[in-house]
Amino acid sequence: VDLLLMFCDVFQGSFNSEEAENVVKESVLGGDDYSQTHVNKWTAAIVERCLTQLVKLNKPYKYIVTCSVMQKTGAGLHTANSCFWDTSMDGSCTVRWENRTMYCVVSVFAVCIA
Amino acid sequence: MVEESDTYHIRPNHRLKFKPAVVKGYIRDIVRERLSDVQYDPETVAELTCSLAESIKDKVKTAEFDRYKIVVQVLIGEQRGQGVKMSARCLWDADTDNYAEDVFMNDSLFCVVTVFGSYYY
Repeated sequence: VDLLLMFCDVFQGSFNSEEAENVVKESVLGGDDYSQTHVNKWTAAIVERCLTQLVKLNKPYKYIVTCSVMQKTGAGLHTANSCFWDTSMDGSCTVRWENRTMYCVVSVFAVCIA
Repeated sequence: MVEESDTYHIRPNHRLKFKPAVVKGYIRDIVRERLSDVQYDPETVAELTCSLAESIKDKVKTAEFDRYKIVVQVLIGEQRGQGVKMSARCLWDADTDNYAEDVFMNDSLFCVVTVFGSYYY
């Protein structure tokens, strides 16, 4: 629901990522520690949830949702995106979240259909 | 960029579809050329990530996938023995849209590049 609202803002030009963070925070990761055995499940669940929320918006858009989860060991991480699209209609949003043992970065791209 | 007029094509000609294998080749070449002897350096890597994304996007544009929108995502991280998991889900037309990805590692950094192509009807 929160990612939903965030997305409406993106389409109208403004941007509020606080609401989007809640989708990641409240749901899957919460207070868990990084675990090699569970991380597959977590990333899959996060992207599924984001995508289902976006689909409920019923807009004529195709969505691409990516999620990266990284264990905290003091290493650095950088992400960059470059897009070739219609800047008036298409948009993207990236949400960063962390807890004691891991970082999570979720990116959503919305591409207009005709 | 993409034309305003309607073409009434619901899918591209098979020869003009987004080809993951071709794009993966481009990603491989560019990343190996730019990163093969680079050490992770916090000051420069931010700018390197951005310029790598731009270069890959420009290279994919030269392939002239007509009426395709391109999204390039580059992730560079330091190698410290940590665990990383990256996943993606897309809501799109599986017949016309596709993606290509490649992973590069050297002893001080790792780099994941994903390129998504989405057809504009």
